[in-house]
Amino acid sequence: MAAIMPEPGSKVIVCDGNEAAAWGAALSRPDMVAVYPITPQSSLAEKISQFIADGIIDAELMDVEGEHSVLSVLQGACLAGARTYTASCGQGLAFMFEPYWRTPALRLPIVMSIVTRDGISPQCVWGGQQDAMTVRETGWIHMYCETVQEVLDTVVMAYKIAEHHDVMLPVSVCHDGNYLSFGSVRAELPHQTEVDDFLGEKNVNWHVALDPDRPMAVDPLTGGASGPGPSLFVRYRKGLCEGMQNALRVITEVHEEWSRRFGRYHAPLVESYRMDDAGYAVMTIGSMSGAGKDAVDAARERGEKVGLVKVKTFRPFPAQAVADALARVTAVGVVDRSVSFGWNSGPLCQETRCALYSSPRHISVASFIGGLAGADITVKHFDRVIRDTAERARGAPISGPAWLNESD
Amino acid sequence: MGKAYNTVAFKPQFCDGCGDCMWACAQAKAGSDDPADSRIQVVAAADGGYELALCRQCGDPRCVAVCPAGALAKDQDSGLIAWDGERCVDCLLCTMGCSFGGIALGGVAGRVVKCDLCGGDPQCVKACSSGALRYITTSRIYNEVGNLEDLFAPGLGGCQGCNTELLMRHSLRRVGPDTVLATPPGCVPGMGSVGYNGQAGTKVPVFHPLLSNTSAMLAGVRRFYKRKGRDVTAMALAGDGGTADVGFQSLSGAAERGEEVLFICIDNEGYMNTGMQRSGCTPYGAWTSTTPVGDERKGKTQDAKNLPLLMVMHNCRYVATASTAFMEDLYAKLDKAIAASQRGFAYLHVYSPCTTGWRFPAHHNIEVARKAVESNFVMLWEFDPESGLRITRPLDNPLPVSEYLKGMGKYRHLDQDQIEHIQDKVNENAELLASLSRGRTRLFPGSS
Repeated sequence: MAAIMPEPGSKVIVCDGNEAAAWGAALSRPDMVAVYPITPQSSLAEKISQFIADGIIDAELMDVEGEHSVLSVLQGACLAGARTYTASCGQGLAFMFEPYWRTPALRLPIVMSIVTRDGISPQCVWGGQQDAMTVRETGWIHMYCETVQEVLDTVVMAYKIAEHHDVMLPVSVCHDGNYLSFGSVRAELPHQTEVDDFLGEKNVNWHVALDPDRPMAVDPLTGGASGPGPSLFVRYRKGLCEGMQNALRVITEVHEEWSRRFGRYHAPLVESYRMDDAGYAVMTIGSMSGAGKDAVDAARERGEKVGLVKVKTFRPFPAQAVADALARVTAVGVVDRSVSFGWNSGPLCQETRCALYSSPRHISVASFIGGLAGADITVKHFDRVIRDTAERARGAPISGPAWLNESD
Repeated sequence: MGKAYNTVAFKPQFCDGCGDCMWACAQAKAGSDDPADSRIQVVAAADGGYELALCRQCGDPRCVAVCPAGALAKDQDSGLIAWDGERCVDCLLCTMGCSFGGIALGGVAGRVVKCDLCGGDPQCVKACSSGALRYITTSRIYNEVGNLEDLFAPGLGGCQGCNTELLMRHSLRRVGPDTVLATPPGCVPGMGSVGYNGQAGTKVPVFHPLLSNTSAMLAGVRRFYKRKGRDVTAMALAGDGGTADVGFQSLSGAAERGEEVLFICIDNEGYMNTGMQRSGCTPYGAWTSTTPVGDERKGKTQDAKNLPLLMVMHNCRYVATASTAFMEDLYAKLDKAIAASQRGFAYLHVYSPCTTGWRFPAHHNIEVARKAVESNFVMLWEFDPESGLRITRPLDNPLPVSEYLKGMGKYRHLDQDQIEHIQDKVNENAELLASLSRGRTRLFPGSS
């Protein structure tokens, strides 16, 4: 149960997830914000542009000609020392892919929101996590939010995570298109001085810079079959992997500090809901988790020993935390809002199977795919997930994925 | 190596037409107040500015060559072309030999006069208060640049005879150390400007942008420093592929937004670093590795896009074309581009022939570049929104384009129809630019 009274110094507003993300960015005092509109992110781009026009944010606004340049101007600015923010999704993220892929390897702590949207084709403009899931293997940290409040809080936390010296990686804060982007609810807006105190002094280019006072060659040609190239290239790649693993610890620490300072705790890696005595579980990611929890509550009332595990941090994948959360169940039904085409399942399902491989006993993992292209995942859908997973727990064989909206 | 002599150099952009130089010369040489007695003549130019009729003290003087009486001779110590009135037979052939109006009929009936540099203290230069006339060594322009710090590391690895290294080094010397340099994939980083395996290629901050986002990254760099009150030049040295093709969107966007970027495109008419593939700047008929010559097709079947002219329509503060064969023209434009890049987008398009990809002997590079200009295949011009477009090297009698084409392997296969197509395009482009420069086609309100 969330506190009704806000923390001292904070203010209560009513806003949707897009505005919440804009507020999170505003509180983080970026030096540069780059925008290019795309559904369902557009109101976020508009809101943050308005914040700059109104002087709420003292930042350079780069209203550029496409997502490719959006991230490129931020890379340049970040290398010069700027804290930066943007948001995109869907085809915009696809167009941004070339600089997106490069950002982690340059170790630039850029923060962006992905207002997740399904991928075309078929042509669609609605929510789904296919966009973010498609770029999961680029070295960005990916965190998926469940609520509007969590969007606001996580955008701020993302800066602290990204700029941590043991991490120095970009962060995408994902919130579901339509369901979070346009759903208006009560949210608490922390006080600016408290956020300033939380984030501390920024120093985003101590390690790599484009600065005539500290001249260096940024990203010279590296690698090749001989000379120092092979080992140097490995050092960069390995360093990025280590940064990702460090992020698991830092994400946890930052969420705990947030809870201490602002009184709101969001599970950093995975959240276990009614898992204490659960015999089987439902697994979720993003805004669907609310309906999932309601369905678990109802099932519990029917006497089902079911719990729910929600993944917030998808990259780096919290393999140990997932294995620990599911250690005592016999089956888990994983609900994805996207597809892994190579595995005929959802990506979260596939990664969960991987994480459980080293488990001392077999845990049956079933794939459910729902909520594509704006479709809703309701309590009714979760009832089916719970029912099917219960059968798996009793030993029923697993065939391909169940498509939750197939008959809607 | 020939010796570098002092000469009277003229910067038309500084000349206000006051006539003080002519008055001083007439005084010194004829004791007269009549400008007609002056050996230096400033005359109105077709573009509204001024031109200079004065002896250039040429290294290989035509006046000397055509003189039947041995009355003209170049002094190998001073560089002066001296006229000997006792030997002169007043045939006036020298006046027809000179392209610069440097020797002409003077005040004494029937006799020629010419500049004698006043014994090394030219009075015209003393009288010039606008800075248009200077008495300098002919190689001073190179000395000036040479005296600036070379901000590239030694040992860049360009192909034999490549002019691009010269262009890179001299450009960065001029721009100076408070610069962030972007060199997108291509010959410039291929030579090692960014460096290899952790070693830097320059003394200024330098980076590889993506082939596609040079202008955007530089815009981010420049805007942040400006916000912080630091004057840092954001400069690109990019190939034509990274400018005209995949780099064009970010270039167009940054120019439209007036980002304060100095963008130098080094146009060698294709992707030469990666094996000579065609780009949007590859000319019609040219062989490249992706527009090969065979029985069915012979080279590129489309014309090149006119990228610098496209940039004129992009709210740039300055746009110019230049050639590695005309370095003084290039330096003057570089200075203007640097100044303009503090106020908005400045775009400099430099033609730099590729010895390897265009298939010609390495020692012909400057010659190829020169013939491109002298045939109007490449036209040298500049544009700013206040003054409009100006052709900086107009030609009265351009060479036929075949004279330019015949020197290169990439055009060896051309048939007569293809050569005519290229000549037609050259003529069309020359007419368009002439029209734009005369103000017949107004580019912007207020442009002349």
